[in-house]
Amino acid sequence: MIFNIQQYSLHDGPGIRTIVFMKGCPLRCRWCCNPESQKTKPEISYDANKCLGKKICNECEKICDAGAIEFSDLHKAVIQRDKCSSCMKCVHECPAKAYKAEGHQYSIKEVLDIVEKDSIFYRHGNGGLTVSGGEPLMQGEFLIQLLRQAKKRRLTTAIETCGYADYPILKQAAKYLDAILFDIKSLDEQQHIAYTGKTNRKILQNFDNLCRDFPKLPKYARTPVIPGFNDSPDDLLAIKNYLANKPETVYEQLPYHRFGVAKYNALGRRYMMDE
Amino acid sequence: MTEEKIFSGQEERILSEIKGNKNIAGLHGPKNRAFALLKRVQGQKPVIDIERGLYFTRSFKETEGQPMILRWAKALKYYAEQATVYIDDDQLIAGRIGRSGRYGILYPELDGDIMGDAIGQLPDRETSPFDIDGNDARLIAEEIAPYWKGKTFHEDLIKALTPKTAALTYNNDKDFSSRFIVNETASFRSSIQWVHDYEIVLQQGFFGIRTEMGEKLRQLDPFSPIDQTEKKPFIEAVIIVCDAITLWARRHAELADEKALQENDLSRRTELKNIAEICRRVPEYPARNFREAVQSQWFTQLFSRVEQKTGTVISNGRMDQYLYPFYEKDIKEGLITDNDVQEIFDCEWVAMSQYIDLYISSAGGAFNEGYAHWEAVTVGGQTPDGQDAVNDLTYVLLKSKREFPLNYPDLAARVHTRSTQQYLAEVAETIKEGSGFPKLINDEEVIPLLLAKGADFAEAYDYSVSGCAECRMPNRDTYTSPNAYINFAAALEMTIYNGRMAKYGSELIGIETGEIDTFISFDEFFAAYLQQQKNFLKHAFIQQHEIIRLRANHFASPLGSALHKLCRSSLVDIHQPHIDGGIDLGYFEFIGYATVIDSLAAIKKIVFEDRKATLAQIKEAMTKNFAGYDILRQRLLNAPKYGNNDSYADELGKRLDKEALLFTRKYSAELGVNLDLRYVPFTSHVPFGKVVGATPNGRLAWTPLSDGSSASQGADTYGPTAVLLSNFATKNYQYHERAARLLNVKLSPACVRGEKGTKKLVDFIEAWRDLKLWHIQFNVINQETLIAAQKNPENYRNLLVRIAGYSAYFTDLSIDLQNDIIARTQNEAI
Ligand code: SF4
Ligand code: SF4
Repeated sequence: MIFNIQQYSLHDGPGIRTIVFMKGCPLRCRWCCNPESQKTKPEISYDANKCLGKKICNECEKICDAGAIEFSDLHKAVIQRDKCSSCMKCVHECPAKAYKAEGHQYSIKEVLDIVEKDSIFYRHGNGGLTVSGGEPLMQGEFLIQLLRQAKKRRLTTAIETCGYADYPILKQAAKYLDAILFDIKSLDEQQHIAYTGKTNRKILQNFDNLCRDFPKLPKYARTPVIPGFNDSPDDLLAIKNYLANKPETVYEQLPYHRFGVAKYNALGRRYMMDE
Repeated sequence: MTEEKIFSGQEERILSEIKGNKNIAGLHGPKNRAFALLKRVQGQKPVIDIERGLYFTRSFKETEGQPMILRWAKALKYYAEQATVYIDDDQLIAGRIGRSGRYGILYPELDGDIMGDAIGQLPDRETSPFDIDGNDARLIAEEIAPYWKGKTFHEDLIKALTPKTAALTYNNDKDFSSRFIVNETASFRSSIQWVHDYEIVLQQGFFGIRTEMGEKLRQLDPFSPIDQTEKKPFIEAVIIVCDAITLWARRHAELADEKALQENDLSRRTELKNIAEICRRVPEYPARNFREAVQSQWFTQLFSRVEQKTGTVISNGRMDQYLYPFYEKDIKEGLITDNDVQEIFDCEWVAMSQYIDLYISSAGGAFNEGYAHWEAVTVGGQTPDGQDAVNDLTYVLLKSKREFPLNYPDLAARVHTRSTQQYLAEVAETIKEGSGFPKLINDEEVIPLLLAKGADFAEAYDYSVSGCAECRMPNRDTYTSPNAYINFAAALEMTIYNGRMAKYGSELIGIETGEIDTFISFDEFFAAYLQQQKNFLKHAFIQQHEIIRLRANHFASPLGSALHKLCRSSLVDIHQPHIDGGIDLGYFEFIGYATVIDSLAAIKKIVFEDRKATLAQIKEAMTKNFAGYDILRQRLLNAPKYGNNDSYADELGKRLDKEALLFTRKYSAELGVNLDLRYVPFTSHVPFGKVVGATPNGRLAWTPLSDGSSASQGADTYGPTAVLLSNFATKNYQYHERAARLLNVKLSPACVRGEKGTKKLVDFIEAWRDLKLWHIQFNVINQETLIAAQKNPENYRNLLVRIAGYSAYFTDLSIDLQNDIIARTQNEAI
């Protein structure tokens, strides 16, 4: 289950890359900028700005068998999520493309054919495929096959992971990787649980194992710096100390941004950072 | 919140000025001379200088009946004797061809017929206004314009066109203004963009050319009628021109002497004496050092501007090549430093920026908004023997472009497969500055095409970028006639309205290809469109035939011919249709490419596949400009679009390209030229859009068409790699009848920040090169900056943006074009 394939990505690994976003994530980071990636099932996102409004159009209401679409005071369509059966009819019918299905089934070949379209852009800067999410390791078998086939096509590969997975899967995947982007969000276990919903122990253990088994694999350890969560000098210093002697590891801090806020509204969810 | 905003170098400079930091020079170190010169002229409204128009008119009155080339040479000689000569305070470069500040000059042989009326409107017109002195306006109305009435090329061309062709070309008004359908550009410029062989001037001087001509004169057969009536006047004309430019340069030397005598400042007095010495030496004799070489080249191009209006402004050619021997020698001998060289260049750029290409006609103005100019300097590329041509001077030129905040000269960087990482990185750094320079031209596409058209390797490797995206071989190209710009979005409209257009109601302008409700399949509709397209091409080629035929009677270029090897050997003027050994590189323009592709794709999808609307409904919606048809318009807007690497749309685009190529493949030989298919609009997609009603891609009536080979505004939603791939996918590489495709990419500064960003921009450029696309240019700017500049123009007077092969001040552009630039898709870092 993939929710997006994005060409011309410049920030997730070397060169010009194509990112395949897989759906499903074990964590629920409050600041997550890709909420559409969290759940494993397909979802519908909706952009009210695109909706023409009831005075002009009610195509979606007409086609919805479940009667899940109503109109707001501003005459914009609103999906009643509890009634919606995710049949996707409205997605296809809406003339303004206000609805978008987040999540499609692809075969490995389909994914790689899309990724290869941009291959001419990869060759000069060592660009290639980055699998992200969501958490790519959550669909472990698919991911491993995807990476294996990608290597067959001589694509450069990377994954972007939160590190929360069973180690055997990570280990299998790492065999087919040219680089790994690995989030180290906090060394403080309680904070980690409070802000992401899960302990960090498994994550740190995985990183240690990875360093032991794949010392030569280039690792980009990354910390999204989140106000109130891990932005104190002590927090950040602790992470730096932890990473100090790890092999082939580059450390990077990513500034906090709110680009994802609108997406929460689109999915009919709340953005936790503002709570 | 830590959402940082990343700014380009240009944006930082402007923001710091808004904060009250007026010392722009301080940002770039001690370059006070050129900055001071620039300050005096930048942002001034240009003024019309009538000397060129006046002296040409007076001379032409005296030479009626003589061979055209002699008349032209004599007019130049008269100008050289009579015109005011200038050396600006503090300038290191001598010579201007108009009054102080920014100036435009007159070419009444082109548009003298409309000049009298038009001149009064110039100060207030929306795009590219000019001021004029009252007395000068009187001289234009009483002396210049009346002489040319009935004699201009424009008038002759109108008479020559058949009614069918004329109806697609002109409005039926008193000035025969452009209809912007099959638009001719021959009556607002006397040649297409051109570049001279400056090297011969630097190496041999005009004395050398004069000597060669003297020899030819002695070899003429005294009994041959051709030799005596055609070749002899040619030789005499070239000799007169050599004398004229020499005399003109000497007058600058005298002026410099005079100024030196009156000068109290000792160091300036020395400079003036040096200038005097240089102007006595060049361009008559070969240059001996770098300063002489630059002055010699500058005199040559200025005098060429006096001679004729090459559209648009004569190009500078490969400056890092022909100036290099002088630079190398002076550096070695310790006569000059890189800083001196940069200062000399900066001074020359200011002098260049003072000359504004003046278009009298409204069509010319609309084509070239924002005081367009393309005096392209070419850097990089390959040497005639196929080696990498980059040298130290290349880097000085790039550095000057990064550091000197001026949109002159236009800069073009040639790229090939062995371009070094250093070169590509410096090019990328210059692009990141954000003022739109340099544009890139791809050797890997251009050179094979030149070879296919008959050039030798050495000539092809040594091409110069000329104007916006043309590539010239200065001693091999011999074609000069300007060409047609064809509005294919109008052809699409005519398919819907059965040969008519929304703007012109019931008038049958195209051909009748059937009422809209008679098409029962997409193939039928597409076939009808292709008939309309072919009809436009037919009239464009008819038009071209007449243009080529008539121009030889109206124009001559003794200076341009003197600088062309083939003209000197065959003793034929460059404006004549045929010159032995020449390769004629002309073109015609496909305007509205993405508009047409997207419209066809929308019809195919919505009408014939999804069956959500009928063709008749689409026509109805178009006539209403989609009022009350929002649902349908949304469906059309969301159909597949060109620029997304989507074969649904791209295959249609490839077909359009192919049909146009096949037409010229079949008929261009009859014109004796390579009339190649191009996608380079200047700014014409804006006025062309103004005559086209709503289109089936959901575009509203009278708004700009798509630009060059770029996607429709905002339609490219899969990022810049998809834009490049769509371009690649729509080209028909099996045919050689193609030339430039102009491609604009807008990046946010955040995309290319830091050293990593430079590297990724280089990666992108290398992929562009490997795809064999002809041209690409970048705007590195934040959307917010453009919007702020539109709101508060006074703060953003010096904001440069890339338009169509040139950069211009954003605030000099019409609101339509400003909006068009804002509407181009911005590619953010992902
Ligand atoms: S179909 Fe689309 S545009 Fe129409 S009301 Fe529903 S969401 Fe809005
Ligand atoms: S997905 Fe189906 S059920 Fe849900 S709102 Fe759309 S049409 Fe109705």
